[in-house]
Amino acid sequence: MNKSGLLIRLAVVMIFSSLAVGFISSQLFYRFTYLTEVDNSKKQIAELYKTVSATASIAAYLLDRELANEVVEGLATNGVVHGALIKFDEEVVSTKLTNQDSIIQFDLHSPFEKGRIVGHLSMVPDLKQIQIRAKKIGRDNAKALFAQAIAATLIAIIIVYLLITQPMIYISKSLHKIKPGTSKRLIIPDFHQHSELGGLVHDINHLLSNTQQQLSAEQELRDELKLLEKRFRMIFESSQSPIILMEPRGSILIYNHAFTHLLEKINLDIKKNFGALLSELFIEHESLVQSVRVAFANNEISTGEYQLLSRANDQPIWVQVVVNSIVSEDMKEYYQLTLHDISKRKKELEKLNIRANYDQMTQLLNRHSGEKSIEKLIYNKQAFVVILMDLNGFKEINDTYGHDSGDEILINVAGILKNSVRHDDFSCRWGGDEFVIILTNVDKESIRAIVKKILLKIQKPYSLSTHQQEVSIGASIGAALHPKDNLDILGLVQMADKAMYHTKQSKALGNTPDITFADEVHD
Amino acid sequence: MAHLKNTLLIIAFQLLAFNGLAAEQDLVVVVNINNPTSKMSKSQVIDLFMGRNIAFPNGEKATPIDLIDDNHIKRFFYKNLVGMSLARVNAYWSRVKFTGRVKPSVKVPSESGLIQHMHSSPLAIGYMERKHLTKQLKVVYALNE
Repeated sequence: MNKSGLLIRLAVVMIFSSLAVGFISSQLFYRFTYLTEVDNSKKQIAELYKTVSATASIAAYLLDRELANEVVEGLATNGVVHGALIKFDEEVVSTKLTNQDSIIQFDLHSPFEKGRIVGHLSMVPDLKQIQIRAKKIGRDNAKALFAQAIAATLIAIIIVYLLITQPMIYISKSLHKIKPGTSKRLIIPDFHQHSELGGLVHDINHLLSNTQQQLSAEQELRDELKLLEKRFRMIFESSQSPIILMEPRGSILIYNHAFTHLLEKINLDIKKNFGALLSELFIEHESLVQSVRVAFANNEISTGEYQLLSRANDQPIWVQVVVNSIVSEDMKEYYQLTLHDISKRKKELEKLNIRANYDQMTQLLNRHSGEKSIEKLIYNKQAFVVILMDLNGFKEINDTYGHDSGDEILINVAGILKNSVRHDDFSCRWGGDEFVIILTNVDKESIRAIVKKILLKIQKPYSLSTHQQEVSIGASIGAALHPKDNLDILGLVQMADKAMYHTKQSKALGNTPDITFADEVHD
Repeated sequence: MAHLKNTLLIIAFQLLAFNGLAAEQDLVVVVNINNPTSKMSKSQVIDLFMGRNIAFPNGEKATPIDLIDDNHIKRFFYKNLVGMSLARVNAYWSRVKFTGRVKPSVKVPSESGLIQHMHSSPLAIGYMERKHLTKQLKVVYALNE
């Protein structure tokens, strides 16, 4: 049985309180009975006095010790009296007296003269006897009260058990079995339709109904949320583009699968922080940071294309980086980064660019892009030289050995040009067997030196790969300087062409100048 | 009611008649003329006759002389002295005698016998009607005083 169960508690409380009440009431009863008994004994003693007063008076009157003794002894045999005493003249006749505190004294009158006191009769009530009697009465009373209390406790326990505990246990057990949110309800116990317990059950049922409603509403909401979350996750996870949410300082909060895939591609392990805006991943990270700063300052989304630093020595990976600043409800700033892989497009563009700007066969710039490059230099007001070169003997080889051999010669010359100019300089195929070489910031001496080097290489006998035949060609070269000779491209090229023609003529005359400068040609 | 009133009246008259008789009976307590005691209080007289004291105030042993029961003077004496009927006085004595301490007084049959006894005994004390007083006796206490 439950130690702190209602029944046990009730029983303990009732037993203890009845014990306390019994104890107190028996004490009170004892006191009360004792006082009553003392009072009674006084009355009885007064009666005794009346009974013996005649004899006692005579004894006192006659100063008769023996008679007095008889009276005193007689009184002492009475249960009420502990001891008695008669006093007359100088004499005292008494029984054994141990306690004279509660002595009760009466006057003894002369039997013949009413007003004349001849002695005194004193009696001591038997307090001990009275106490014993009072105690017994008190004890009996306590016993009766205790028996009554036990009976009352038992009855109360039975009533409480039947009326309260049993239905409460029933309610509690039923409630224990009920799962909140289900349609199960408590049944009101018999005879409790209108009691407080009935009210309690009613209220609990009301609460259960409310809970069920709330729970089902919550469940619906949760389902909706789950579905939504699933869809969001789908968008996020199935996105081919890496999406990263990070703090402005660079701590990555969430990323999708595409991001890990991208990292695998560049041979990096995932970590919590790749620097602000993933800057560790990009070659031109400074430019990225800068452009994002500018975009955010203008309240715009930052978009830019950047090449990833790839540890794998593979194709370069280019991504379009879209950075969006998000401010959450609690005023925290987050960056959302979306990376779109644009490597393929970049590559195609590169190809297109090459196709548009380069001569397919020689891989040198074509005339169109060569002109553009020259215009750019003119625009930048840079000093440069336009060197026009025309091959000699090419047509013969082409006619004798076929186009393939001609092409081979052209490719060889292109290779020589490529290897002979500095990084900032360039050469292009101007058309047919004509080439243009642009050198910046050079004087005539160094031009002559470079041209000499180129000519030596070109004039070197070349064995055709398809014909097992050594051939040799030459070249006529003319040059025009910018800005010294002319300021526009057409003029420069015309002047170079003229100069080259001059060289060709000189060769025909038997001279062998390597190069003719435009200012050396005189009409 | 009227009947009760009448009864009360009759009782009152009888009482008055008795008192009248008592006034006639002028009783005195006497001793021998040679007795040194000349005056006694009512209590002293009672104490001598009822057995409390056996001596006169001066210490000499007293001998109370009493009449026998069937005498109206005796009846009157006790009635006046202690307010008791003879029956009650006798009952008192019969109770007291058991103890043996007190001796009852000497009893004489008549007033003349009492006077005779008084003359011969200087320590005797008795009672009589004043009209029978002799020269050899003296009054120590008068009941009607």
